[in-house]
Amino acid sequence: MLEARSLRKRFKDVEAVRDIDITVAPGERVGLLGPNGAGKTTTLLMLLGAITPDHGEITIGGHALPRHRSRAMEVVGFAAGYLPLPDRLKVSEALGVFAGWYGVRDHRSAVRQALERFEITHLADRLCSELSSGQRTLVGIVKATLHDPALLVLDEPTASLDPDVALRVRSGLLTFCATSGAALLVTSHDMREVEMLTERVIFVARGEVVANDTPAAVAALYGHVDLEQVFLSLAAEHGRDER
Amino acid sequence: MSWHRIRTVIRRHAYVLWRAPHRWFDIAFWPLMDVILFGSLGTFIAQQSNESETAVPYLLAGIMLFHVLFQSQIAVATGFMEETWSRNLLNVLTTPVTEVEYVAGTAIFGLAKVLLALTTLSLTAFGFFRFDLGAVGWSLIPIALILTIVGWGVGIANIGIVLRFGQGAEILIWGSNFILMAFSGVFNPVEALPGVLQPIARVLPSTHAFSALRDVLAGQPLDGGSIAAGLAGALVFLVGGTAFSVAMLRTFRHRGYVTRFS
Repeated sequence: MLEARSLRKRFKDVEAVRDIDITVAPGERVGLLGPNGAGKTTTLLMLLGAITPDHGEITIGGHALPRHRSRAMEVVGFAAGYLPLPDRLKVSEALGVFAGWYGVRDHRSAVRQALERFEITHLADRLCSELSSGQRTLVGIVKATLHDPALLVLDEPTASLDPDVALRVRSGLLTFCATSGAALLVTSHDMREVEMLTERVIFVARGEVVANDTPAAVAALYGHVDLEQVFLSLAAEHGRDER
Repeated sequence: MSWHRIRTVIRRHAYVLWRAPHRWFDIAFWPLMDVILFGSLGTFIAQQSNESETAVPYLLAGIMLFHVLFQSQIAVATGFMEETWSRNLLNVLTTPVTEVEYVAGTAIFGLAKVLLALTTLSLTAFGFFRFDLGAVGWSLIPIALILTIVGWGVGIANIGIVLRFGQGAEILIWGSNFILMAFSGVFNPVEALPGVLQPIARVLPSTHAFSALRDVLAGQPLDGGSIAAGLAGALVFLVGGTAFSVAMLRTFRHRGYVTRFS
């Protein structure tokens, strides 16, 4: 579904991504983890075509970036917890616009179904600017699933959500992936969320992949019982001088 | 290129226009103010000298046609800026909509804004000063076409500048209109400009359009030479503005400037 080889990116004197390979198989759920400044967001933005890598190749659904970016994005749904939505539009209008850009012909029906999937149909007529941060995050995730993408890319999807809402989002995402067969690539600082959502994790530190296996195998590799402890030890080992 | 996605861009901006009262200033309030200002100025000049009866049509036709350029330009440029103001740029960049589709959508939506502004201008110019731009006839079409294409070209170039230099550069979106107004001979022949500035005015395609407009207002036939020169120059502006913006977008993606807007 997604194949990225030898990605490298430097911003002036900072080597943000050194040499990263990422593959996500169809239907596979993968977590991209690492301390702040590890290169996760730069990697994600390269995978989405928003940043051009200095080196490396990216293919999504058989479409190579940057040449076939538009075709590649037809099969990708992206949401980030930190991104707002068009503030002068109602939720249903904003989602309808994104559905149109994703090529959905019957945008009203797609919006209704997507809102029902995450149980937020009551937000349809609210202005995006009036949403709470949690509601905005939910609508952002709905936006990413409007066109039944084959690959969901989520950057910190539940960062601003209350625990009960975050749980509902995780359950919704798992159901969506199970029923649609979509693959998932997600970044998060919530290791319990990662263990719940993903089958495989890729740990990144200082722009390099330092571990790539199932959550249990990665924990075992570092002699810990869970990913939380792995994260803390990797952050201490690789991230301290970057913050 | 997908017409469905272009239509969606148009719908997106129609929602913004509907919901943002201050956007109506561009297509209703400023045109009204311009008609009052330039119509009154023309009336005063006419009152000072019997030989200046043409002042009102010259000034009003000039400002009305300038709004064609102005509206086309800001529709394209502020269409893009709307995504930066609402921090929606990354969301847009991660959809299949292409740069060409997005700009095409804003340009087409800009035509609707031009029509709305011209409606305001025409009604108020006729209501206050009995000036009917429609009396100029079909000659208006090639003149308006040149000004529309120049507006698109400048608007696209302004997007490139904002992509490269960030939101602080958005002052140029409005500033470029004043520059074009001063140098295009909107109300006066190029010869009325200071001599040292005249070469700048002569290379602007909009100057040829306004020169052709004055000929028509003076009762002369449409000057084919001015129209041809204006059209050729307008296409150079469009192609040049697009090439510049494409290069700036490449830099924007290469340097990761998207994070400035998200």
